Amino acid sequence: MRPATLAELRDAVRDTDGPLLVCGAGTAAGWAGTPSPDAARIETTGLAGITTYNPDDMTVAVRAGTPLAWLQAELASHGQRIALDAARVPAGGTVGGLVATADSGPLRHSHGGPRDLVIGVTVVLADGTVARSGGHVIKNVAGYDLGKLFCGSFGTLGVLAEVVLRVHPLPPATRTVALPCDAVEALDAVGRVLAARLEPVALEWCDGSLLARYEGGPSSVERRASATLLHSAGTVLDPTEEAEAWRRVSEVSDEPTVVRCGTRPDQFPYVAKHATRVTSSVAVGVHTVAVAGAAEVERLRAEFEHVTLCRRPPGSDLPAWGRPHASVPLMRAVKQQFDPAGRLGVGRFAPWF
Amino acid sequence: MALTDLRDKLVADLGRDGVIDDPAHLRTYECDALTGYRVVPALVVLPRDADDVATAVRACAEHGVPFVARGAGTGLSGGALPTADGVVISLQRLRRIIEVDPANRRAVVQPGVTNLDISKAAAAYGLYYAPDPSSQQVCTIGGNVAENSGGAHCLKYGFTANHVLAVDVVLPDGTQTRLGGDAPHQAGFDLLGAFVGSEGTLGVVTAVVVRLLHTPATVRTLAADFDSTETAGAAVTAVIAAGIVPAAIEMMDNLAIEAVNEAVDAGFDPDTAAVLIIELDGPADEVEERFAEVTAVCTAATRVTIARDAEQRARFWRGRKAAFAAVGRLSPNYFVQDGVVPRTRLGEALARIAAMADEAGLRVANVFHAGDGNLHPLVLYSEAAGEHERAEALSSGIAELCVELGGSLSGEHGIGTDKACSMPRMFSTDDLETMQRLRAAFDPAGLCNPGKIFPTPRLCGERPGPYRPHPLESAGVIERL
Ligand SMILES: Cc1cc2nc3c(=O)[nH]c(=O)nc-3n(C[C@H](O)[C@H](O)[C@H](O)COP(=O)(O)OP(=O)(O)OC[C@H]3O[C@@H](n4cnc5c(N)ncnc54)[C@H](O)[C@@H]3O)c2cc1C
Repeated sequence: MRPATLAELRDAVRDTDGPLLVCGAGTAAGWAGTPSPDAARIETTGLAGITTYNPDDMTVAVRAGTPLAWLQAELASHGQRIALDAARVPAGGTVGGLVATADSGPLRHSHGGPRDLVIGVTVVLADGTVARSGGHVIKNVAGYDLGKLFCGSFGTLGVLAEVVLRVHPLPPATRTVALPCDAVEALDAVGRVLAARLEPVALEWCDGSLLARYEGGPSSVERRASATLLHSAGTVLDPTEEAEAWRRVSEVSDEPTVVRCGTRPDQFPYVAKHATRVTSSVAVGVHTVAVAGAAEVERLRAEFEHVTLCRRPPGSDLPAWGRPHASVPLMRAVKQQFDPAGRLGVGRFAPWF
Repeated sequence: MALTDLRDKLVADLGRDGVIDDPAHLRTYECDALTGYRVVPALVVLPRDADDVATAVRACAEHGVPFVARGAGTGLSGGALPTADGVVISLQRLRRIIEVDPANRRAVVQPGVTNLDISKAAAAYGLYYAPDPSSQQVCTIGGNVAENSGGAHCLKYGFTANHVLAVDVVLPDGTQTRLGGDAPHQAGFDLLGAFVGSEGTLGVVTAVVVRLLHTPATVRTLAADFDSTETAGAAVTAVIAAGIVPAAIEMMDNLAIEAVNEAVDAGFDPDTAAVLIIELDGPADEVEERFAEVTAVCTAATRVTIARDAEQRARFWRGRKAAFAAVGRLSPNYFVQDGVVPRTRLGEALARIAAMADEAGLRVANVFHAGDGNLHPLVLYSEAAGEHERAEALSSGIAELCVELGGSLSGEHGIGTDKACSMPRMFSTDDLETMQRLRAAFDPAGLCNPGKIFPTPRLCGERPGPYRPHPLESAGVIERL
């Protein structure tokens, strides 16, 4: 089913019997648990395009199947962007899919992830209820924030139909500094860059270098890049090197077996030790980790509660989730309320529910 | 009966000095800073740690008695308003800063710690806690989490929700759990995000892990006078549209300035129609470049005063932060409203508010977070002169105007008791029932801070105000169905 309007989506959800699998562009089809093969598929890609955009308000509302890359191009013509640079965006990842997987990229250092950018949602629940939360203004505390609840829900609570996002200005200039260091040294390097109060928008360790990216006015980014080198050895990258360095960061997500995990920042060296390759927003403690196999995933799960499986080789029986963390019982209770018949995303959170 | 049993149980478990039941003392818990609503609770408990909180909550659950958490009681929406047959759980004894971890730039604190004390404890490391409600000397981090509180600098830095990594919570059945984790990546639903801003209706916070930021390298502040609130509003839009993200843009209108000047020596021009306080912070080069752009954008200003030093900047802010209290000098009574409009409609909103005030024959002072479109109209009135009802109607009319202009009923003070009956203006029955599903997952018995956020027949009359389509819906811009 590929509904093109909210009404069609509502009807499709309500009038179809049995399990339903919500699909966007399929760029994260392999994330989390393997969905039940019996489920009828609801494709969201027919729900595309902007519904409201007033650049001066710095907010935009889009249908959930809109590819973020397409949206970025639209916003760019107004000098704006969504400050979300998840690796799968260029491959066509939809706004709804990025929210449902709570995916993010190096900009999480300064802008957070979907939870910090979504200001309103319209969702369709398994029984056909259409509900809205949040709104079209950035500051808003009226009612519960269901937009955040749906972050990381992997299509198991309802179908995102429309998402309202806050936008940010596109920076006039950017500059990246590469500071070669290992994972242990990275902690000190991060501390020095932050203590210099130069406000990098991204601070990402990948392939043996800490990358500090600055955004702002042309002369300001130049001077901040140079100032970084007063405290740490490294080089200011030219635009080609800069693009290449950030391309390597997003490449990590394409390795055969990948998990995303959240830790205290100072636990990064432990994470790196178990990785074949890793890209890490070190200062916030969010790591995208390529591993050799199940043993390494287990090792990470033994130490950390919040580990999400993002990619595994076809046919792999690597479990999607580890031991249940403290709030899994609450997740089950929420699931029970939103989808009592258990129709949506069957298998996504197996073995938790 | 249940209450007597409950009291005996609580006294046995928490000790005699952990339970208040004498009427005179109970009365000090009858309201928060929205003093128009008062209900004396049946009991107040003063737990000393998370286990005490769990004990108290479990006892309430077993006895079927409603309870409400209370921090400093500075809430402005009646969020901590007790029920007459219920228990207040005061977190005032849980005020320990458990840990400041400079290497990981975070702090772990008990819920009764004040917002400002976190920054004070972090200052030794050059760090601070960013969200800065004007009440920050008094209000607690637990209250901030419950309300998703904001502050002047949230324009650049975001709200409480963006700065909390995890919370330890006693759920309404008395079990203890943790929401969130060591980093902003959660395996599964963002329950932390759903909890922050839930106004004490999903559980009681017993510890909070907050992010700390390095204090900015440079701060530059100016005050720009304008000959009308509309031109000031247009300047706000122009600054933002130029791609600048100031740390703060605050506006005060003439009436607010008058009050502030009388209360503190802030030095604002008493004759100006509106003043904007614009602050930029960050790396020196970036701030200088952008500050020049801001000054250039403020061409419509009649005067621009650039704070020459930290002392003058502090004076501007003293004035701004004293504004609510200062308004008390202009009028025996006032209501503080809190609504949000899309920033581009600020001028229109202010003009309509002025017209509504004229019609009601009342004065409204405006002092607010202009960069966020977050209005705080202060409706001045006199109880003695019998103006209460007219003022209340004007105040809720203003909140509903915000919804009509495509905004929100509340930007930071919460819905609480105050605006529960206005919720159907902003949300349909299905929207509200869907939110209630979250509530039911956390609190199936409905004992945790009942009567807040959601309209009830008891509070709003049998028929709460009808849902009217959102204006964007009427315009065909957003679709419901
Ligand atoms: C002069 C003045 C200025 C203000 N300025 C601002 C401002 O700039 N920005 C802003 O956002 N707000 C502002 N406020 C409002 C208020 O200070 C905030 O809402 C604050 O977060 C309330 O904190 P509190 O500790 O006083 O909470 P309380 O008033 O005690 O409680 C508020 C709500 O939080 C719940 N709660 C409290 N503690 C807990 C806990 N441990 N666990 C679960 N729930 C809990 C209560 O049940 C209640 O629903 C202002 C208030 C005043 C009086």
